[in-house]
Amino acid sequence: MKQGKLKARGRLGTGAMYHMMMLPGILFLLVFSYIPMVGVITAFQDYVPAKGMFGSEFVGLKHFIYMFKLPDIAQVISNTLVIAIAKILLGTLMAIIFSVLLNEIRVKYVKKSVQTIVYLPHFLSWVVLASVVVNMFSLDGIVNQMLAFFGLDHINFLGSNTWFQPLIIGTDVWKEFGYSSIVYLAAITSIDPGLYEAAGMDGASWWRKVWHITLPGMLPIILLMGVMSLTNILSAGFDQIYNLYNPVVYETGDILDTYVYRIGLVGRQYSFGTAVGLFKSVIGIVLLLSANQLAKKYTDRKIF
Amino acid sequence: MRTKWSMKSKPLTKRLAVLSMSALMVTALAACGGASTPPTAEEAGKYEVTPGDPFSAYKDEITVTMGRVTTANPKLPAGDTYENNAYTRLVKDTFNAQITDQFEANGEDYSRQVSLAIASGELPDMMRVDSKDELKELVDNDLIEDLTTIYDQYATDNIKQIYDSYDGRALDNATIDGRLMGLPATSLDSAPTMVWVRQDWLDLLGIQLDPDGDGAISLEEVEKTAQEFLKRDPGQTGNPVGIPFVNTLNTTDYNASAYTMLGVASTQGAFPQYWMNGEDGKIVYGSTTEETKQMLGIMADWFKNGIIDPQFGTRTFDDITALYTNGQSGIAFGPWHIPDWGLISVKQMDKNAKFSAYTLEDADGNVNVAHANPSNQFIVVRKGYEHPELAVKIVNLFYDKLANDKDVATTMPEAAKYQETGVDGSTRPFNIEVNSATSLLDDYSDVVRGIKGEIGLDEVRTTESKNNIGSIKTYLSDMDTDDVTAWSKYHSRINGVGLIDKLTQENKFVWMTPAFSGTTSSMKQTWANLTKLEQESFIKIVTGSEPLDYFDTFVSNWKKQGGDQVIQEIEDEIASKQ
Repeated sequence: MKQGKLKARGRLGTGAMYHMMMLPGILFLLVFSYIPMVGVITAFQDYVPAKGMFGSEFVGLKHFIYMFKLPDIAQVISNTLVIAIAKILLGTLMAIIFSVLLNEIRVKYVKKSVQTIVYLPHFLSWVVLASVVVNMFSLDGIVNQMLAFFGLDHINFLGSNTWFQPLIIGTDVWKEFGYSSIVYLAAITSIDPGLYEAAGMDGASWWRKVWHITLPGMLPIILLMGVMSLTNILSAGFDQIYNLYNPVVYETGDILDTYVYRIGLVGRQYSFGTAVGLFKSVIGIVLLLSANQLAKKYTDRKIF
Repeated sequence: MRTKWSMKSKPLTKRLAVLSMSALMVTALAACGGASTPPTAEEAGKYEVTPGDPFSAYKDEITVTMGRVTTANPKLPAGDTYENNAYTRLVKDTFNAQITDQFEANGEDYSRQVSLAIASGELPDMMRVDSKDELKELVDNDLIEDLTTIYDQYATDNIKQIYDSYDGRALDNATIDGRLMGLPATSLDSAPTMVWVRQDWLDLLGIQLDPDGDGAISLEEVEKTAQEFLKRDPGQTGNPVGIPFVNTLNTTDYNASAYTMLGVASTQGAFPQYWMNGEDGKIVYGSTTEETKQMLGIMADWFKNGIIDPQFGTRTFDDITALYTNGQSGIAFGPWHIPDWGLISVKQMDKNAKFSAYTLEDADGNVNVAHANPSNQFIVVRKGYEHPELAVKIVNLFYDKLANDKDVATTMPEAAKYQETGVDGSTRPFNIEVNSATSLLDDYSDVVRGIKGEIGLDEVRTTESKNNIGSIKTYLSDMDTDDVTAWSKYHSRINGVGLIDKLTQENKFVWMTPAFSGTTSSMKQTWANLTKLEQESFIKIVTGSEPLDYFDTFVSNWKKQGGDQVIQEIEDEIASKQ
């Protein structure tokens, strides 16, 4: 009897230990993610900082209705979607191609240094990189000097509604593809080398090996990353655009975040800003859940 | 028996909900802790050496946190900062009050910081707000101190006289429901936007601008000069750029008019962003008039012909200053004081640089000017700050004592040194100006007579003018001097204010008085969008991505998207006052 009790306590003890280890994480989530969620009620109020969250007047869906009445909202949402989707697609594609190619490099230090060089921009903030981009792409910058060298016309990249989106997408892909290729490289490493040997014996070319072994091997990770990135579909990169845009390219460059920032925060319409934030999150979660379902249906793999 | 432990039996979710609610209550209560009743001057007397005195020090050191508006090039001596410089040390020595900066920022960044401070409820003890709208919001939310009695008790007679010289407009503007809620900056009734042209380049290329010498030139003359500068590249950079403009208008604040299209607008009798009385007695928004359309037409032609910067719209304020500094451009639109803080960097790079100031005349030879809006800057004191009277005392110190003391060099040597070497006034604790309505031309008259020796230095009213006389004399004795302060003071006072003085005496100005300044209730929600619409449409027209007739589309959009309602509200407000 005595022994049994001890045993039970022991089991409970180890279990409690593990649960204790979760505690900091739970607390962290609670304090920084869940408690602030109460703040979404300000989206349904005319929030006045001095009156606080409980003193401000409730106005129902007023701010959501206002958002959809804004004359530019359709343009802004479409900019956001175009920029975000292009960034996800091109960024993923570049990262996959890069990791497959990098995997072929056999000289270790070359591989390592190439890797480090392409990671680097990821660690610099857009505040820094924006000035580099502005310098390169301004009318007398190096890109335009090169165009002139080949006898082409100058292009005002930062002030052209045709070129601004490609510039935003291109520079973002350049900044991030190295870093996001890390997971793909890891996925490639976990593929059984035996498969390659076998394919080699059967006379498969390099291309065949990539197509039939490497890419299928990476597929689960590609899907996972794809589904995860869908949650950010309405966040097309505030830092980058805020640091690069100007009124000339509001038409093609304004995304939800920058628009709301100007109309909402600078104009001190806090409730409106919250309403848009909430709207973004709801769309994000709907997309995440449906993509997860689709992934299960068609590939039998899902995140949760 | 139910004890508090009975909670244990409730589901976890419920308990979490209670926990998070109580956590919220704690934060909410903590936020309320800041509010308290404001101390009267008598109570404040407990802390002061001589209670109620305009310059009284505190017995024990007090601290005051501030939001500070900075500038790009304040010329501070090495080691000094906005937070710790001769002026802040002067406050420490005089009042035993230590200034610390809660935030320092410039331009739009500053308004953002103010917005954030209001949003988070963590206001600095004192800060500048830049619109009546913000002032109203702070009052509505009961976040700032009522300064009415404190002002009466503490402001010196001189300061009161200065504010009164605006016939009550200055203090009225800071008064809400009969209570003085902030200390207003004074906005001198101004002058036209000027055109500053590199005189050394004109000489080099043998161009004679303004042959009749009346100081007013036409748009065609500006255009021709710009073309010559582009063609012949007097700065020898190999990369000359046309006249650069910023993408904002900001015309209702004369001091912020640098690099804007306001000068071009004035030649067409256009007053973008002002509320004007229309011919039929109705309120008209200046940006939507036929005259403004004409201005945009001219700008669009200029853009097409390369007379203005091909990167119009994408340049920031600093980018533009850099174009002048590099010698890529030599024509600048800006107010009379632009040599002191903007063009001074040109002189630093190129010792031969000289600028002449002109104004733009319309087809009939008139110079059109709008009266400036009454002050839009206010110093406010956080509700609950223990020593609100310190704000008035700081104003006394800088805008009365320091400005009028005949013997600053011995009484406040460090500050005197700053003034001599031309350290920017923005480094004072409050980045505002408090001057009497006529001070610009009064000071000019002092300076001119001082230089000629008609009056002695002890008869000059302000220390600043005294220093200016010294600087200008230095410049006149050696025009190639390396003393950039001497260069800038000569340019701003003699070239800039001199021109205003001359045109005022010749009665060349045609003044427009705005019908309304301020904000209405629906502007809070619609104005940000309307401003964006205006800015975007104007840039599109100028850069040619939309034809000039797009202006009419802009006007009808502007009206539909809330403009008509704003006009209605303004008309109601004006009607209710009559």
